[in-house]
Parts: sequence; C-alpha cells; structure tokens
Amino acid sequence: MALDSRSLKRSLLGTPRARLRGLVLLFWVGFSVVVIRLYVVEVIKHRHYLALARENIVKSTPIPPLRGEITDRNGVVLVHNGPEFALFEIPGEVRRPQEIRWVASDLGVPVDRLLRSTRSLGFVLPSHVPIPLLAGLSMAQVGRVNMDLYRLPGFFIQIMPKRIYPENNLAAHLLGYVGSFTPGDLKSSLYRHLPPGTGVGKSGIEKEYDSLLQGTPGMRRQLVNSHGVMIKRLREKPPGEGQSLRLTIDVRLQAVAERMLGDRRGAVVALDPRNGELLALASHPAYSPGELSQAMSTARWNDLVHAPDHPLTNRATQGLYPPGSVFKIVTTMSGFQENKLDPDKSFQCGGLFHVGSVIFHDWKKGGHGTLHLHRAIEQSCDIFFYTLGMKLGPDAIARVARDFGLGEKTGIDLPAELSGVVPDRQWKKKYLHAPWFPGETPPMAIGQGYLTVTPLEMARLMGAVAMDGEISHPHLRLGKTLTSLSPVGLPVKNFALVKSDLRDVVAAPHGTGHPVNLSFFAIAGKTGTAQVVSNRGVNKDKKRPKADSWFVGFGPFDSPRIVVAVLIENGGDGGDVAGPVAREVFRMYYVTHASTLPPPSPSVAPARPGGSSL
Amino acid sequence: MKSEVVTYIVKIHPLFLAALLGILGIDLLTLYSVNPYLAMKQGIWELVGLLVAGGILMIPYPLFVKNARFIYGLVLALLFVVVLFGHRSHGARRWIGVGWFQIQPSEFMILALILFLTAYLLRNGKDVPMTSGLFAGGALAALLPAVLIARQPDLGTAVELLIIFAVYILLKGISSKVLTISLIGGLAFFPVAWEVLWTHLHEFQKDRIRAFVDPSSDPSGMGYHTIQSIVAVGSGGWFGQGLSGATQVRYQFLPGAQTDFVFAVFTEEWGFAGALLFLTLMAYLIWFAARTALESRDQVGFYLASGVTGFFLFGFLINALMVLGVLPVVGVPMPLMSYGGSAMIVALGSLALLLNIRFYAKR
Repeated sequence: MALDSRSLKRSLLGTPRARLRGLVLLFWVGFSVVVIRLYVVEVIKHRHYLALARENIVKSTPIPPLRGEITDRNGVVLVHNGPEFALFEIPGEVRRPQEIRWVASDLGVPVDRLLRSTRSLGFVLPSHVPIPLLAGLSMAQVGRVNMDLYRLPGFFIQIMPKRIYPENNLAAHLLGYVGSFTPGDLKSSLYRHLPPGTGVGKSGIEKEYDSLLQGTPGMRRQLVNSHGVMIKRLREKPPGEGQSLRLTIDVRLQAVAERMLGDRRGAVVALDPRNGELLALASHPAYSPGELSQAMSTARWNDLVHAPDHPLTNRATQGLYPPGSVFKIVTTMSGFQENKLDPDKSFQCGGLFHVGSVIFHDWKKGGHGTLHLHRAIEQSCDIFFYTLGMKLGPDAIARVARDFGLGEKTGIDLPAELSGVVPDRQWKKKYLHAPWFPGETPPMAIGQGYLTVTPLEMARLMGAVAMDGEISHPHLRLGKTLTSLSPVGLPVKNFALVKSDLRDVVAAPHGTGHPVNLSFFAIAGKTGTAQVVSNRGVNKDKKRPKADSWFVGFGPFDSPRIVVAVLIENGGDGGDVAGPVAREVFRMYYVTHASTLPPPSPSVAPARPGGSSL
Repeated sequence: MKSEVVTYIVKIHPLFLAALLGILGIDLLTLYSVNPYLAMKQGIWELVGLLVAGGILMIPYPLFVKNARFIYGLVLALLFVVVLFGHRSHGARRWIGVGWFQIQPSEFMILALILFLTAYLLRNGKDVPMTSGLFAGGALAALLPAVLIARQPDLGTAVELLIIFAVYILLKGISSKVLTISLIGGLAFFPVAWEVLWTHLHEFQKDRIRAFVDPSSDPSGMGYHTIQSIVAVGSGGWFGQGLSGATQVRYQFLPGAQTDFVFAVFTEEWGFAGALLFLTLMAYLIWFAARTALESRDQVGFYLASGVTGFFLFGFLINALMVLGVLPVVGVPMPLMSYGGSAMIVALGSLALLLNIRFYAKR
C-alpha cells in the first residue's frame, strides 16, 4: 500500500514539472541566504561599515616633515635641508602603462630608472599612495614635464626637502646619508607613518638617530571622490620638524684629521678620555653623502660596494687591524698584574728569540742590547715582549686586553660597529678547533697574530691608560649619552709607570714616536707597525705588503684631555707615517684650546731620569 | 485584440503589473541618484522595452518557437559581427552601433537561446526522450555563443547562457548514463580545461577570482569591488542614507554602481527595509514565472516559461550574492535593475513572454 521508493522518487523529481518545483525550492533557499546576509551586513555590522564609508571619502595625504639639522659641538651646522623638485606617481591613477615612458622621455632619463621605483615600492603600497619616481629634477626637466602633466593625472611634481651635506665629503661615514625607504623598511614600524619620498637614515648618525631627526609628518585632509578630485579642503595638521642634533665632534679637528689622511687609506679617532666624547672620527676613502642620498644608478652603487678600497666602510669603527706594538701596553699591564715584570730588571736583547725551532726576529737588526722596560717601550723592543709574553701565556694577556675593552664593541652610537678579536686558548679551540701552540704567544704579545682591533677600540684603550684605568664610553651625541667612566680594574700605580714610558716614546729623541713631539703640548703615546699578511686595496697584488701604521697617544701629559688614534693601512713605519697625522690633530687641539689648557709643566722631560741615559 | 490583452493583464494580473512597475520605478530612482542623465536614458529604454513587450504580446508564443532557429541564427550572426566590427568601450568589445544607439547582441542571445532550446528539445510540441545527440546539439548551441561572449570579454552573460542550458537539461532529465559519462569526462578534463581557461582569462577576471578568495588581500586593487560594495550595503542600516546620502556612490567609490552593483546602491539609499521591499517584488516576479510554467497546459509553454524562470531566478540570485560578497564578481546584471538598454529590453521581453503564454494558452 505504501508508496514504493521508485514511485515516490518519480512523484518528487521524476517529471519536469516536479523538477521545476525543486528549482523553485532552491530559489527560496538562495533567497533566504540573501536576506540573512543582507541583515548581517546592513543591520548587525552597520556601524562598522558606516565607519569604513566615512574613511573612504576623507583622503589623508601625509606632508613630509623637515629633517632635523646636525651640528658639531660648537653649533657649526654640518647637515641641513634645502628644497628640490621631485616627480611622484600615483599608480592607481595612471591610465595607460606607456605614460611613464612619456614622462621618462620628457625628463631625458632611461625609463628603467623610473620603473625601478614603481616596481619596488609600488608593489607593496596601496595604489593611491604617491610614489617618488625621481628627485632632484633640474629646472629644465621640471619645465618639460610640467607641460605634459595636464594629460597625466597620475603624475605630479612636488617640492621636497633635500639633505645638504658638507663639502669635501667631510665626516661622511660619521654623518651617514639618507635615502628613500625600501619595501624592507616598511616592515619597521618606525617608517610606517612616513610618506614615500621622505628620506630615512641609511647609515651613520642619520640612521642611528633617525627617529629623532625624522620629525612627524603632517596630514592634509581632503574630502574627495574616488578619482581623488578634491571636493572640500578639511583642516590640516602641520608637520613637526625633526629634532636637531648636536654632536660631540669638533669640525676643526675633523677637518685636520681628514686633510692629514689625504688620499691614504686609514682612520683617525680623537676622543676626550674624560667623558668619552668623540672629537673627530675620520675614515678615508670616503663617499659623498649627497650623492648617496639621491637615487643613483645601480652601476654606480655597485661600483661603490665593490670598490677595492671599500669607501663605504667606516674604518674607525668597522676596520679590523692588528694593533702591532701599541698592544705592548696591554702586555706590560698584564706583566704587572701577574707579577712577572720587574721594571728595573735589565734585559739583554740580541735581536733573536727562539720558541722551539721557530726563530722570531726583532724589528731592529742585531737587537737593542741591554735595556729596561722603559727603554723597551720607548724603542718598541720586540724581544723583550716576546720573553714577557712567553712568561704570561695568551690567557693572561687576553684577560687584560678585555679589561681594556678590546674584543667587544665600544657601544658607540653608530650603526654596524664591529669589534676586534682577542684570542686565547679557549677562543682558538672554539673557532679554529685547535690547541694553542707556544709559537703563537710571542706574536700576540706584540699585537700580531690572531689579534685584531678597531681604531676606536685603541683610542678608548689609550684613554683608559691616560685616565689611570678609568675607561670611557665613546659617543657622538652631545650631552645626552653616558659620560661617566668605568674602572678597568687594574691598580692605578701601574699606570703612572707605563704613562711615563709612553711620554718618552714621543719626547725622547730616539723614541719611535718622536715625529709626533710638539714643544708646547706634552704628548705621550705608542707607535705600531703591524705586519700584515697582504696588501689591501689597490695594491692588493703587490708581493711584499707594507705594514699598517699606528700611532695612539694622548695629551696633555699631566691632565689628559684628548686621545688621538691614527691608523694608516699599509703605511709603513708607525712613527713616521701615522705620527704626523696625530701631531697635527694635537696641534689643532692646542690651537683651539690654548686659553683653557693648563700651562705646560716645566719638566716635560721623562719622569724617570734613568731612561734617557741608556 | 490589443485591448483584449491589456484588459486581460489589468484585470487578471494587477499584482504582476504593480510589481513590475514598482521595480522599474525603483530602478529609475536609484539610477537618478547615481546620475540623472543615466536615469533619463534608462527611462527611454524602459519605454522601448515596454513597447517591445507589447509587440511580443501581439504574437502568439508558438509562432516564436516555430521561428526560434531563425531568431537564434540571427543573433548568433550579430555576435560574429561584434567580434569582427564591434564597438569598443572600457576595453571590452560588446556593442554594435545602430544609428545613434548601440545594441548588445549578447543580451539578446539569452532570449534567443531560451527560444531555441525550447524548440530544439521538443518535437512538434511533444516531449521526446533525451538522447546523447540531442544533448550534444543543445550543448553546442549554448557553448558557441557563450565562448564568443566570454571573449568579448563578458563572463557574466556567458555564465548566464550556460545556466539556462543547465536549467533545460535539469528539467528535461538526462539518462544517468549520459550524465555519468559527461561528469567523468568533465572531471577528467577539468584540470586541462581549467588550465586553458585560466590562461585565456583576462587579467581583471583572474583578479576577481583571486579577490573572491580573499577580498581584503588588496583592498585597493582586486578586492576593491567586493569591499566597496559591502561597505555601501553595510552603511545603509535599517532605513538607508536616503537618495542623496549614499556617499559611496556620490563620491564614486563603487565602480559599476549603475550596472552590476546597482543593488548595492539601492540598499545603501533605502536601507534594509527598502531592500526587503525590492526582494519581495523580485521574488513575486520569479514566483509568477514559475507558476506560469507549472500552470501552462502544453509542453512548449512549460519549457518557455521555465527558461524565463531560470534566467530571472539565477540572474537575481547571482547578482544579489555577488553584491553581498558571497559569490565572486562575475558581472551578471540584476534583471530589470542594472543600467543597459539591451538588458532592459530582454528582461521586459521575457516577462512579456510569460503573459503571452498565459494569455494564449487560455484561448
């Protein structure tokens, strides 16, 4: 009696009319979905979408802020702003892809140069955000493009602030440069609110203090339709100028340092050991911050990156060099610390030193004869320190070296600082997977071998010596950074001894640092002539590399106020090559500070009279 | 005879007439808020459409079906003309200029296909069993114009043609053998077909599909339509922003506001309450079409009315769900609402067919 399944099926869906009824049923299901969805969107989420609709019609365009100025410690302006014309594109409003070619031909630049900007930023930003295509337009370019702009609604020209850097690329590495931000920069929340085309710090101080210098962009609010056509202007928020920044640098010392470096590869660091303020920080060869701040061709950028003399490297904070004989100060301090060095005990230097079957030579053929510690430092006798080093071993030397801040970053307020290497047994095992060989200790004692330092580290070390064991925290921002000193943890009495030795390096006529000597300004210091494995830079392929030249010293001797560290790559003899550079920096310091300096002490002669008699 | 028809409609189907005129009025008001000039043009098209509808009512529907192959052939030829000499607008080649106005043959293909399939799938007004040959012929008749139209590019109308074909197959019934073979064949060829389709899709069509998967992935680009449409609908609230309050439309944030997204504009202005009114009118028309099919006494009337039902039913559902972000933006216009002369004439003409079927079947 009951319907069998087949007849049931036929009565429901078997005939065309039944199936049409099924279709109508489907319609009611779809109709319900429409009503429910409409209710959800229009009634339940009404407020949310209403807010979105409001946002739609108010167009906010950021106004780029003016970047803060950078001055030296005396208020001399190093970096400021000027105007320039920049061409922008709003990708969403470009009607035809070939328009960018018209613009490029108007400008007289290859279209690829413009496409590079749209390709990098245009892909990550919403299409209504203007993208800078080319900055620094000439008046002729502005004129030519301007004639066509009426038919190119997606392009416009705007006056943008431009960074103006000192002439002669002064303090280039230190100041750094700015550039348009990249898609990668957008990930950083620091840049997210900035309009494209605003310069952001790419290196140096510009990068380190970017958040300070940047300022806050203003906001221009307009009521617009979807074509961006303004209907009404709303109240605008003016941009906030970036904070200006005062550096510890003294531009006069900086200029002397750079002039004295000339076209040699090297670095000069001048530091106030009393508070860690850097008075000069020079590195050569340098780049042009003004050039780098503009959009430059990839070829030119590659040239800079791959140049054999590495102009982009700040040699003062990123150059790693063997310290050479300057390091003998550390070996000496270590000797005192371990009670293995008697300053009055005489020593025979025969010019040769044996460790097992290995023979080490002194830099001076035939040796220095009989001498004490004082003479050993003054004349930089290698055999004396080989012997002392063997007594101490690498670990004891490394310990003191680390006390002086070697092997770790100084914490200077510059990006990408590097630290040198202070090797010891543990270090060698960890990184080279080999035990320490006795033959590796003598080179370390005279600052060779695995040991590397940056010029900044050496200046800091010399500052700690000058301040009797109080080490400074080098910094470039005046006033706001840590100016107090920290003890290195070595007894003060040992410093007096070493300092008097260092004084004679410069003051004694046969001291290795005598070329630095100034009659009116008491300088103490240490030279270094560090043998290197190979020449760097353009002379890379020459057979016999010249040694790196060092001079690191401080003055005035009685109340130290300035430390100068000079390094010249492959310069040769430390005293003769690096020395005069340091001397001129000291001279400039004296000239500019003569009135405030205490009168030179009457006895500039060595504190230990015995020294010069030998 | 003319007065007879009018009397019939006014006397017997006043509700239908009211619903139709209500929707046409709503259409004009909505378009007026977008652009008064558009509303004026659409008003002219509505009048032309009503005249065409009147003309259709003069001729008994079996006559249309008898000449269906000729009508279909004519429209197909026009489609080829579009391909060869068509007028380009907004990057699409869809129009033929005729004097001072332009017609869009792809829209007329909808009506032509309904007539053609009705004639083709019946023999002397009698239902005949579905054979593979019949299926293949019908599929070809739908696919050929669909491909031509999809290349214009007008994906929406092409999809509508395929849906009408599917409705006919559904009603006609198909042996499970043919269905299974075509399903398996279709599935086997799907990757190949998808590959071919994807490479032939225009970039903006691909973007629409991508945007459907994740509308907020690029609010200014691909998902822009969907998001702006939902924002427009959502800002309506219970009673809407009023005719002049639709900021989304007035400031032109919603592209295609007068065509595919006219329903979004309407809801923004009239709110949920207004939308319910419109939905009721639309549902009534569709129900009326389905009733016409179910109550018709002969097979010709049934299939003809069913085709019109399918066209309205799916056109309405797909457009509404697209506007509400449930379906991807395929570009199916809202029947009787979206701006466009050809579409208006076709919609009014197909509604006239329904009355035609009822009127002449009674005699």
